[in-house]
Amino acid sequence: MYRQARLLGALLILQFLAMVGLGVWLTTRVNWDRALDITSGQGQFNFQSVEGPWLKALERSIVFDVYFLVPMILLLLSGLGFVLLRRRGWMLASIAQSLIMLACLFYYGDSRPWFAYPLIAYSILMILLLNSRSVRAAVQSRRAAPVGTRSEVAHGE
Amino acid sequence: MANEGSVDARTAEELLRRFEPVIRFTKGEWFYPMDCEPYVDACSLWVARPNEDAVCVVPAGELTLERLAQQPEDTTGAVHYLKIPNPKESENGGRRRKRRSHTNPDWPKETFRAGRGRLARVGYISRLADALFSLTLLARGRVPGGDVEGGRVLYGRYMEEGQRFRYHGNVVRQDGWIVLRYWLFYAFNDWRSNVFGANDHEADWEKIFIYLSESESGEVRPEWVAYAAHEETGDDLRRRWDDPELEKIGEHPVAYVCAGSHATRYFRGEYLTELAFPLPRFLSAVRRIARRFWYVTLRQYADEDYKEKPYEQFTIPFVDYGRGDGWSVGPGQDREWDPPRLMNPVPSWVSGYRGLWGLYTRDPFEGEDAPAGPMYNRDKTISREWFDPVGWAGLDKVPTRAEELEVITGRQAEIEERQDFLRSELREKSSRLKTLGMAAEATRDQSHLTKLHETQTRHIEELSREVEALREELSDDEVLAETLKSHAESLRSGERPPPHAHIMHATRPVSEAETHAGRVAQLWASISIALVLVTLILIIAYERSHLLSALVFAIAVFAFIEASFRRRLARFIVSVNVALAVVGALVLFEQYFWSVIVFAVLGIGFYILWENLRELGR
Repeated sequence: MYRQARLLGALLILQFLAMVGLGVWLTTRVNWDRALDITSGQGQFNFQSVEGPWLKALERSIVFDVYFLVPMILLLLSGLGFVLLRRRGWMLASIAQSLIMLACLFYYGDSRPWFAYPLIAYSILMILLLNSRSVRAAVQSRRAAPVGTRSEVAHGE
Repeated sequence: MANEGSVDARTAEELLRRFEPVIRFTKGEWFYPMDCEPYVDACSLWVARPNEDAVCVVPAGELTLERLAQQPEDTTGAVHYLKIPNPKESENGGRRRKRRSHTNPDWPKETFRAGRGRLARVGYISRLADALFSLTLLARGRVPGGDVEGGRVLYGRYMEEGQRFRYHGNVVRQDGWIVLRYWLFYAFNDWRSNVFGANDHEADWEKIFIYLSESESGEVRPEWVAYAAHEETGDDLRRRWDDPELEKIGEHPVAYVCAGSHATRYFRGEYLTELAFPLPRFLSAVRRIARRFWYVTLRQYADEDYKEKPYEQFTIPFVDYGRGDGWSVGPGQDREWDPPRLMNPVPSWVSGYRGLWGLYTRDPFEGEDAPAGPMYNRDKTISREWFDPVGWAGLDKVPTRAEELEVITGRQAEIEERQDFLRSELREKSSRLKTLGMAAEATRDQSHLTKLHETQTRHIEELSREVEALREELSDDEVLAETLKSHAESLRSGERPPPHAHIMHATRPVSEAETHAGRVAQLWASISIALVLVTLILIIAYERSHLLSALVFAIAVFAFIEASFRRRLARFIVSVNVALAVVGALVLFEQYFWSVIVFAVLGIGFYILWENLRELGR
């Protein structure tokens, strides 16, 4: 049972590391000399003068950080929760996947970057895994309901 | 006819009175069990023929129980029904309640309070469906509001003459059981108009059955009870007499009657009752496939164990209030039963009148039509609870305690006899099989006997299968005989199976936590539907440029708030994730259509290769 939780934790941490790596890679692609030069020289951005392909990289890097910072923190917390505390973190992990999917779909509608697709694919797999019976049984203590309790169906009388 | 034996009136009354139930009502109930005679005396009798206006057959004041039974058969599709007199007509427009005269009784003494949390217990869809359902009443047939007033006046006058509580009793023998049938007649079902429920109808027949077994010395012993709730039938209806959950006062079982609907329950509390509508066939098929794919193929989590449903339904939940905090009627209670109106022998008003006991509204769902009498369904066929009271509660497969050992002994003798037969068959066939085996061995590799050998081989195969089947049957019978023996021993030693073993789905009241929703949750439940509609209109009016995003955002916020109040955040997150995963999968499919196809084909190819290589390696 705990193996399932640890495996899930490892997969979440892997997702976190991949996203951190992606964020770092996007940051390194920005021409920081130019960006710093402009900001330090003028004190403010002048979009007409800084038009160019490097601006797209800067914008993408900033948007990536804004969109994915919170889900990355949640991923790390839930991953550590599963690995160290064994059962905690299901809700955090689920919310993180929601936020990642939402961000990716916004990205997809806007600039369609290549990295949105592997993120979507990984998120789909994680959603299925998080909601699979074995994982739910492993990480959640099922509510003890009386056997066969149900609401009743009426037809009229 | 399953009613194998009727019971004489004196014995019937004795038994009925000995075990008569104690019934606890909910505070604010308007209608209690009454004798049906004064009700009939006050009503008029009508007949509605297809495509014709209803015609009054007997006016109010002239109808009696005897006369009710004398209605001749009418044309196909004609429906006879009783009608409670409208007090406005009879009192020349006198205003109700505000001016209570001697003709306008001071009844009821108190009104029902739903309490906090009623709306908070159901979600948006149900609240919206509830509103739409109420709107459909304008198009469907419905009991007019004035009829509730008619019922109130009729019953109020009856109670002002002297508070009286009466049931209608009938006792029959069936399949070794003595069935005590307590039929409770209420002048009106005011579940919709007074208790926020699903329907109203004039007149209401409810029932409580008690099943007795009889020893050889003639001593009777109660074994089971069955309380009717809406139109439920079968095993889930009944409880064993020694069930610790069955409340009893001496020999009197205790029942909790729900306000307005008069559904009878075993436990005090508030019940979530679902009004079910079948989905159109196409939607039903789509939903079934989607559910199967999600829960079986993808092995996804479900709150309850996944079960294939024969048909899909759309349900609107209502609350049934069986609080038991009102009057209590029965032996030793604040209100006692009057002597019952006996239905042994069956009176002519029961067998002779097949019509409805109140207004016929022509409601296609029948929820607003009055019920027929104890013996009949609304379509004039004989009701199961009348002709098969034992089967109605699923007891047709259960012997009485006095019969249990006898049934087991009989079955054991049957099995023994059968085993003897099987053994002799087995001996004979085994011997033939051996002979055939030897013959086949002799004819093997003899070219001139090839055909004979083939025939022998075929016969051997057939005979082998028969012998195998016989051995299996014999083995099953041996196991069954052993089990029956040990079951008989445990019965002899006084052991009984668990009292709930027969119950598949127990109907229980909702939990205390659900009943007492917080003030904020209740306020939210009251205003949420209006707020959702206003928000949607505002978005459509002012945010047309970002219509889709604004709608998604608004719906997500409302759903999140609702899920938080209803403590279903986990389920909500899962639903959102599933929806996002579906959209994400479509995006991937659209972007990598050919790659997906190529990978799928490659995957299948590798799988087949792997299977074949595994087979080769064995």
